[in-house]
Amino acid sequence: MSMLVCNVSLGALSKGIVDGIAFLGEMFPPDFSALPDMIYPAVETIMISFLATFFGALLSFFFALAGASNISPMWLKSISRFFMATERALPEIIIILLLVAALGLGPFPGVIALAIGCIGMLGRLFSDAIEEVNAKTIESVQSAGATKIQVIQYVIIPEILPSLISNTLFRFEVNTRLSVLLGAVGAGGIGYEIFYSFQLLEYERATTAILVVLLLVFMSERVSDYFRKKILSNTKLK
Amino acid sequence: MIEVKNITKSTKEGRQILKGISFKAKKGDFIGILGPSGAGKTLTMRCLNGLTKPTTGEILITIDNQVHDIAKNKGKELRQMRQKIGVVFQGFNLVKRLSVLENVMIGKLGQINQFRSLFKGFNNEEAQKAYEALEKVKIEKLAKRKVASLSGGEMQRVAIARAIFQEPVILLADEPIANLDPTNAKKIMKRLKPLSEEMPVIGVFHQPEIASKYCNRIIALKDGTVVYDGNSDISEDLLMDIYGDELQEIENQALVSAPLA
Repeated sequence: MSMLVCNVSLGALSKGIVDGIAFLGEMFPPDFSALPDMIYPAVETIMISFLATFFGALLSFFFALAGASNISPMWLKSISRFFMATERALPEIIIILLLVAALGLGPFPGVIALAIGCIGMLGRLFSDAIEEVNAKTIESVQSAGATKIQVIQYVIIPEILPSLISNTLFRFEVNTRLSVLLGAVGAGGIGYEIFYSFQLLEYERATTAILVVLLLVFMSERVSDYFRKKILSNTKLK
Repeated sequence: MIEVKNITKSTKEGRQILKGISFKAKKGDFIGILGPSGAGKTLTMRCLNGLTKPTTGEILITIDNQVHDIAKNKGKELRQMRQKIGVVFQGFNLVKRLSVLENVMIGKLGQINQFRSLFKGFNNEEAQKAYEALEKVKIEKLAKRKVASLSGGEMQRVAIARAIFQEPVILLADEPIANLDPTNAKKIMKRLKPLSEEMPVIGVFHQPEIASKYCNRIIALKDGTVVYDGNSDISEDLLMDIYGDELQEIENQALVSAPLA
């Protein structure tokens, strides 16, 4: 049944494989002369990812505060948690398409889309981290007369800092991958370069762009690993 | 000076847990509150610093020559009163990832402007005072350390320093030594005692022998009423009266800790 629905046919598959191999042949060797053209889009991709992670983490933090049961009233918690769950359920590409429709093409809608895309995951993780802060510690600081904002500043933030940092760094890796995808729907960056090369049938150029993407993703992982280790080792027990 | 006038507290189902507790405490008092579990010791303490509202009764605390009733106050007034009540908890309740000095300074958050705490933080004079509070409990050498790296006894001393730094008019200690070994428990009691020269110190204790050794006044609770209020020279008969069947258990614990305490 599912084979019928999906139009599965062994004939098409075998023909597809042959065509695929021929196509792969056209993609090689990579056209490295196009490399200088890739630098600007690559930087753009990284910048989109960086800004989106920064604003996304900030947004997520506020949603997390609203969504943590130990510092937020019940009604606010429900609203915030509902929003985060909805955002998590929507694939990023849908948010991107919605925002491209609303704000037009370009890197800026891309940044906004990715920043909003952070809320579902980061907001939830931050929120859970806040709920794990010892309720008695909060109570004791309040019993010295502190206000809620002071509790957030002096208890919540220091206690969840490791979680804030390591999850945000991880999200930076995810955003780097996503911003490539974003490029393909017109938000600029290296993704657009791949999309554009395919349309011009310049497959060798596309291969170069794909290699650059791989390099970017590897690099973002290395960088985030480096900072994670460095920052977390500072907060470890002495 | 604090005056507790006939406070009662009932649960939502109508079961009365505190059945009219009254006492006065003034400068020089180091009061140990004793009683079997369920007597209402911790609940009384929670009422004293406004974490729980008594059903009826008054808790009058004199701050700057003005008498306030913490049982009636809410919101901002309650916050202002709490700034003047130092509390030390059983679980220390410190912010583990901040330094010792920062934890002490948290005690004054309620007394500084919200705007200042958000953008400027504490000034040098306050840091100096916080350091002096640490000196009072003889732990100033650890000022820069992260709290997470301290032992239980050290953490409790930081908590006391935090309470001192608040410059309170009264110091409450809810089972401050329950989580500590006998040596550290003794150290904490030694640090608490001199503070009673400046303000009334009221503590809930599980070990009657330690309380009678360091406190100068004992208040015993049983079933939500005061059954003894007097000097710390408490007799075995009285203990039997207060604790009943639990006494054996408590004395067994005391035997274990006796050589050190």
